[in-house]
Amino acid sequence: METVSVGAAAPAVADRPGGTIDLRGVGKTYVDRTGAQNEVFAGLDLVIQPGEFVSFLGPSGCGKTTLLKLIAGLAPYDEGSITVRGKAVTGPLPECSVVFQNFALLPWSTVLKNIGFGLRLRGVSRAQRDERARELIHMVGLDGCENKYPAQLSGGMQQRVGLARALAVNPSVLLMDEPFSALDEQTRGFMQEELLAIWERTSLQVVFVTHSIEEALLVSDRIVILGINPGGIREIVTPAFPRPRNRETVRDPKFGAMTSDLWELLRSMKADD
Amino acid sequence: MTSAPATVATPADRPAGRALLLRQRGSRGTRLPQPNSARRIHRIQRILYPLILLAALLGLWQYFASGMKNRLLIPTFTEVAGAIIPTLTSGEVWHAMWLSNQALFLGFGASILIGVPAGLALGRFSWLERTTNSYIDILLVLPMAAVIPLLVAQFGLGLFTRSLVVFLFAFVMIVVNARAGIRSIDPALVEMARSYGGSERHVWRFILLPGSVAALLAGARIGLSRAVTGMIVGELILIPVGIGHLINEYQGFLKAADLYALVALVLAESLLLVAVANHLERKLLSWKQ
Repeated sequence: METVSVGAAAPAVADRPGGTIDLRGVGKTYVDRTGAQNEVFAGLDLVIQPGEFVSFLGPSGCGKTTLLKLIAGLAPYDEGSITVRGKAVTGPLPECSVVFQNFALLPWSTVLKNIGFGLRLRGVSRAQRDERARELIHMVGLDGCENKYPAQLSGGMQQRVGLARALAVNPSVLLMDEPFSALDEQTRGFMQEELLAIWERTSLQVVFVTHSIEEALLVSDRIVILGINPGGIREIVTPAFPRPRNRETVRDPKFGAMTSDLWELLRSMKADD
Repeated sequence: MTSAPATVATPADRPAGRALLLRQRGSRGTRLPQPNSARRIHRIQRILYPLILLAALLGLWQYFASGMKNRLLIPTFTEVAGAIIPTLTSGEVWHAMWLSNQALFLGFGASILIGVPAGLALGRFSWLERTTNSYIDILLVLPMAAVIPLLVAQFGLGLFTRSLVVFLFAFVMIVVNARAGIRSIDPALVEMARSYGGSERHVWRFILLPGSVAALLAGARIGLSRAVTGMIVGELILIPVGIGHLINEYQGFLKAADLYALVALVLAESLLLVAVANHLERKLLSWKQ
């Protein structure tokens, strides 16, 4: 995997181009089998700035993946409004690309065809798809794997295909649903660094769902912590470590302190319900 | 082999050659790479041993059949072998095959054309599935042979009825397998397609159909064997044409050798159809190593 050297420091968050992701008064309720209403959250307000990297963190069942799906237009919200860069979300938007926890690759297609899948759905010609796919194969470090099938790849490689597919359609927003939780710890570390490197080079807004405190602290500009009973945003934490970040950032003295604080916060939330 | 400490068995103590190979094989799941000599031995075994077994079984058949009092109904292997050529060259057998296979072609073709879309729809739309679920279960357990007299009473003894019988034998299996094929697809794939702006048509074309091909082929294979059964059973029970008719006739006239030869011919046809289906399956599913 080639290391990407980052030149000048990335522009400050507020200077990056693009629009905001705006959530106002958003609520979501599930009806379970017995017919009972389970309110996941209600009246949720959040603004994600252009070029910002935001994580959703919280205990299982707090609705972090649900919230991501609402933004992605893959699930309907029951109240409030969500706008992505000025457009109201009523379904999946072309600006947003999703990266899935279990990769969601087509097992019967090659790596090249998988990466070009999003483009294919948008009617891009075969030649252009393949060209773009080759660019991305190089960007994520999968050279030589063009004609391999997902079953022949390791987990880390499969997720790199998933990431490449998401980037192929030139999104402005990257929505990632626990993208590295199906990978082993070392691969996770590599993938985090790679994602940060790619993010530094582009001006993407990233919404990143994770249940790993350390991962959230490492990658995010802000961490939105969601709770259960009651649901909704409990706290927003800003890990102010200097960018560009990599695994060395973990050694920052404040990193350990923040990790402990967040553990305490999550533990106290668990005691609440 | 690396040198070992004194307490471990030295190379001189270890069993050599083929015994060592067999030891190394271990459990079925943990095959170690084998030298070419072992592979050759296994290939010879795979081809030769079944042939030896076949020869032994045929020998037993010949021996016991020759000794039997009731030679009219139980022919020897040599008698059957002798009857095969006349059977293959007799006009009456080919005419029967032609008649019976018409029903097979029409009935099985219809069961695919109707059964596959029906099964796919049942897999995709759960409200549809809930509506028809009980009826499918009934059709699964219903002995189709018992239904044949009803069909004959309703529709007569012609090609339509025979095709209908074939259709009914095959239909349920094809539907059930198509349904299972759709259900087995990871829902995350559908969600992924939607997230990239895919319409329902896109979902069908890029996710649901490619993903269910394996199950559809399995259903077609099972349906085909049931269709062949339906083809014969329909004629045996009630509709005196084609192969079923010949079977009844040979049985009635105690032409045992001809009967066995005819059955062997039907078996050969089934094997041929299955081989075609398997070949198709291998080509379409080459990505599944």
